[in-house]
Amino acid sequence: MSVFDGLKFRKANSIIHNLDPRIKFVYVIGVFIAALLFLQIIPLLALFVLQLPFVFLARVQRQWLRSLRGAAFLASFIFLINIATNFFGGGYTLTPSDIEGAAALTLRFVVLVESFSVFFLTTSPDHLGLALEQSRVPYEFAFAFTTAVRFVPVLAEETQTIMDAQKTRGLELEKGNVLKRIRNYIPILIPLIVSAIRRSLELAEAMESRAWGACKRRTNLYTLRLHKGDYVLLGITVVILAGAIYAHYFVTIPTIVNLL
Amino acid sequence: MALIEIKNLTYTYPGVSKPSIHDVSIKIEKGEFVLITGPSGCGKTTLCRCFNGLVPHFYQGEIKGEITVAGINTLDHHTYEMAKHVGLVFQNPENQLFALSIEKDVAFGLENVGVSREEMRKKVDWALHQTGIYDIRERSPHEISGGQQQRVAIASVLAMEPDIIVLDEPTSFLDPLSAEKIFDVIYKLNKEQGITVVLVEHRLDLTAKYTNHLIVMDQGAVRLEGDPRDVLSNEETRLIGVGIPKATLLYQMLKKEDYSLGNKTPLGSEELADQILETLK
Repeated sequence: MSVFDGLKFRKANSIIHNLDPRIKFVYVIGVFIAALLFLQIIPLLALFVLQLPFVFLARVQRQWLRSLRGAAFLASFIFLINIATNFFGGGYTLTPSDIEGAAALTLRFVVLVESFSVFFLTTSPDHLGLALEQSRVPYEFAFAFTTAVRFVPVLAEETQTIMDAQKTRGLELEKGNVLKRIRNYIPILIPLIVSAIRRSLELAEAMESRAWGACKRRTNLYTLRLHKGDYVLLGITVVILAGAIYAHYFVTIPTIVNLL
Repeated sequence: MALIEIKNLTYTYPGVSKPSIHDVSIKIEKGEFVLITGPSGCGKTTLCRCFNGLVPHFYQGEIKGEITVAGINTLDHHTYEMAKHVGLVFQNPENQLFALSIEKDVAFGLENVGVSREEMRKKVDWALHQTGIYDIRERSPHEISGGQQQRVAIASVLAMEPDIIVLDEPTSFLDPLSAEKIFDVIYKLNKEQGITVVLVEHRLDLTAKYTNHLIVMDQGAVRLEGDPRDVLSNEETRLIGVGIPKATLLYQMLKKEDYSLGNKTPLGSEELADQILETLK
């Protein structure tokens, strides 16, 4: 099922994949804040380029490009809206700096998408669950998260089976107008929900049988420990943030229009 | 004292008028390989749920009688307290694995009871080796076959080092070859580790040879119980609808025609083959 393909995490090994998810998240937030500080193209471009080494080190270029392509529609929308408000709000004229401003806003959005996609492309759900647990998020939530991820392929397969079964009984999914088509999916949804509920009962039974809730202080097979690479990434984050704040307050950033 | 002792147990699920188990009394000794069989809906699964307290704590309902497992009265002890003594393996392997990697799943129970990491590592590795899945320990549950999933489920209860492992039709989702592998694993645990096994199965052809205590249930009651050779020779067992092993059937048919292959009723084809060879000599 292609719909669920995006949710499947492919196991991979690289320096970036092995970094501590908590530090990676701090880095993403750092880039996020830095991007929000600027409305000029040059620093945003610098932030964009800064992330490229991560993408290449993690060898996720292809998936990364795909996520950028997914954001392209929204990005062009942001660009056009900005152009339009400048044009209609500024007395029906368009200066080059208006265009540059719109481009900067769009680039800011792209930088945010870029950093988050690197995070999610290189962090396994397992790691993410572990990070949640060790960040004092109640275990129930972390467990719910990893179990949900675990059952995505199972439910996808089941949906396919139910669809096939209903089609052999003469259900036509691609027929009629929009409303009719939505209604066509009811015979798929109801068995799917019923079986999911039944499955959850069996899961609860299995969890009980394996001492769920036996003691308040649960232990864990794995722990996240900070390694050298994590400290390096933390350092990079601090440098980016400090540089961004310094540039924001003390440096007059030239615009491209000025430079030309 | 017996490891599992059930006295006059009657249990009714909530919202149902007829009891699922009616006046059942069983004694299971330490180290036994017990096989429970009987037609669908005869109360086998319900009985399994009684062993670790899922009945009545998880299912509620009305219960009468006494159950003592490993010296603990399950009626006043919660399921998570029983988990250290009784490991329950369910029918559908998919719905009893919840982690994203196999070794994490095997560690789940140990994490819940708060075992330290070093000790956990040792126990998990031991359980993985016992069930022959050490090499796939980092895979995710949906990447492995049903037979492997069921072995993970066995490993995950085994890691808790229980006195008893209860398996509720563990092979009904599997092909015969994978099923045989599961039975081999269980038999090895029983023989080498001395773990008491309670196995619920329809496929007596594959399992009768392992057992030394056979229980036949029908309509919520225990109808026959004892040495498998006696129970399987009994006409009533066949009438209840138990699938008698082909080797045992053949032996009985020949015996009816006065061809005796010795006094021992065979439970598997190997035994029967030996007896035939013996007679032919």
